[in-house]
Amino acid sequence: MLGVASYLVFFLCVVLVLCILTMGLNLQWGFTGLFNAGVAGFYAIGGYTHAILTAAPNPQLMGNYGLPWLVGIIAAMLVTALAATLIGLITIRLRGDYLAIATFGIGIMIQLVSLNLESWTGASQGITRIPKPLATWFDAPLSYNLFYLVFMVAVVALVYWALERILSSPWGRVLRAIREDEAAASSLGKSPLSYRLQSFVLGSTLMGLAGALYVTFIGFVSPFDFLPILTFQVWAMLIVGGSGNNRGAMIGALVVWGIWAASGVAVSKWVPPSHAAQGAAIQVILIGLTLVLMLLYKPRGLIGERSVVSRHLVW
Amino acid sequence: MSSSTSLGVGRWLAGLLLAAALPAAMAQAPACPVKVGGILPLTGSMAPITKKIAQAAELAIEHVNQGGGIKSCPVQFILRDDQGQPTVGVDAAKYLVEVERVQAFTGTISSGVTGPIISAVTAPSKVVQISCCSSASNFTDGRSGGYFFRTLPTSKTQAYATASEVNRRGMKRLAVIYVNTDFGTDMLRFYRGAHKKLGGEILAEVPYNDNQPNYRAEVTRALASKPEALLLIGFPKDAVTIVREWLSQGGPRKVALNNSMRTMDFVNGVGGQFVEDFFGMDNAQEPGPHVDAFNEAFLKKWNADSKGPGVHTQYDAVMVMALAMNIAKDLSGPSIREAVRRVHTPGGTPVGTGPAEFKKALELIRAGKPIKYFGATGPIEFDANGDVSGPALVWKITGGQIVTDRTISLTEMQALTRRVEE
Repeated sequence: MLGVASYLVFFLCVVLVLCILTMGLNLQWGFTGLFNAGVAGFYAIGGYTHAILTAAPNPQLMGNYGLPWLVGIIAAMLVTALAATLIGLITIRLRGDYLAIATFGIGIMIQLVSLNLESWTGASQGITRIPKPLATWFDAPLSYNLFYLVFMVAVVALVYWALERILSSPWGRVLRAIREDEAAASSLGKSPLSYRLQSFVLGSTLMGLAGALYVTFIGFVSPFDFLPILTFQVWAMLIVGGSGNNRGAMIGALVVWGIWAASGVAVSKWVPPSHAAQGAAIQVILIGLTLVLMLLYKPRGLIGERSVVSRHLVW
Repeated sequence: MSSSTSLGVGRWLAGLLLAAALPAAMAQAPACPVKVGGILPLTGSMAPITKKIAQAAELAIEHVNQGGGIKSCPVQFILRDDQGQPTVGVDAAKYLVEVERVQAFTGTISSGVTGPIISAVTAPSKVVQISCCSSASNFTDGRSGGYFFRTLPTSKTQAYATASEVNRRGMKRLAVIYVNTDFGTDMLRFYRGAHKKLGGEILAEVPYNDNQPNYRAEVTRALASKPEALLLIGFPKDAVTIVREWLSQGGPRKVALNNSMRTMDFVNGVGGQFVEDFFGMDNAQEPGPHVDAFNEAFLKKWNADSKGPGVHTQYDAVMVMALAMNIAKDLSGPSIREAVRRVHTPGGTPVGTGPAEFKKALELIRAGKPIKYFGATGPIEFDANGDVSGPALVWKITGGQIVTDRTISLTEMQALTRRVEE
């Protein structure tokens, strides 16, 4: 039973990282209507900033400064915020699909830069020896992961609480107003551009934080961690869980990543190894099928957005 | 709506817990069968080459079972798909190690997936991981705690051997065109050091991306430095295009190649008469019954030839794992790690591939005698870092055919390594 507990602790740590990513996207898409398709890129900026600052010195790489863990986390958020501001200033005027195309391209560019900027990122070799916080206090992987789980729960709770606070404030109402009707919002004297940019930067900063927390949990980073499929996964999590609802975003992260992991287990249990290749294809089909069924039967997600405008409004 | 939602989630969670709990209950039952894990990218961009690699692993498990299993138990092989995605691969590895209680597993191909598995699962949980194919040089720098091994010879051996041969042929002023992957950059990095140490000079280092329709720009850049010779590190399909471009722009006909070009596809692709006296390096396989036996068994079982990247090394990865688990005093990670180094003991009785040889190995192990495993790739002996070292050979193209020019023995290789790294 200890093994199962150990696996579940590990699984939940990954889910909690994904929760932060999904909540970041939820702020952008769910509350502001920004179609950010470059999630993996911002995740990568956070991850690499942290890795470059905190990893143990390596003569082959610039960076690897071995700075304290907390410095890495804060810097990851700052650098991602800065990058998001620059990218936002260029792209935020684009609407809907156009913003999606632009951010998708930028996400891929960031991944390719990480693959080619060898002296800083180690290119496809990756960066190793990224320290785990307080790792020397624990002797077994399970006790350490348990500690990290508690820590992650605290971080996610903090992010959730902060997001709920600002979203129920007048600032959050402006975001929703812009999402619903930008012309109406600007006629009330609000600057949609400024608010869109703020939401974009704040959401991306959370993605950067998630990247740093993932990298420090795994202890290794390479460009393969930031392939475009990650962006797709985070979008699936948000849509399945319920866009416009932070609890929905978190449930979505749990459910979608759970399907991903559980389908692999199911296939390895029920398909004989001699047909493993076909079984693996079944796993991909299972994932797709489950997502499609969810969208068919729960088009607004498992927990949709709460209707706060009027209780009498029928959805 | 909200009540039905939470019920659905609850049910789903219960299902997950149940699915996770069942195998654990089974794991506490008697030790037979012994579980061995595998992680390979069965789907995704690597899938085309993975099929044969997975088949080689299957064949090895079959041979182990026919030859007597592990510690007199049949072996159960649990193969998981990493989809070429690091998070998926790490999750699969964690599941194998924690829930299935696997003490050794083989995998995986992409270095981007192997890396996080080493740092998040293999090293902290102290289980043995043997990869057939991940070439990134920094995996065996000691951070795995010695739990990571790989059966493919590293690019270091080849790079040093190439530098020594290039130097021997007096090709001092060189341009390098290399494929921009971890394989290409690794080769170049090791080559650069060795070439300089042996008194040569690299005039241009030009990376190329694979699968481009033409490489005029790259070749022009390399030629602009007026080199005496070319070192081309890459894969045959693109190499054909590059060499044709090189020759048509009047580049010198002194070209060194890496092991991937040791195929008639390359020679015929460029045209035999144009590549006369081109040469390259490869890991020497001591040809013999152990290599042939594997090739025949593979053909018989899967009705396909065993040519392809990673096929031979994957078979050896599983065989080494099974032999080590039999040698180990118990099936714990640290014992298996220690035993991996006794699979190829100097002075031991040679054992080869296939069920009969495996059975012979088990008898020797039971009698407390040392064994010396000769696998589908040749002798498998791990160095201090968990890499296999081995002899190298120089091949060249003569009269449109690929012939072996000379071999560099293990002792010569070791002397060369010392000279370069001192």
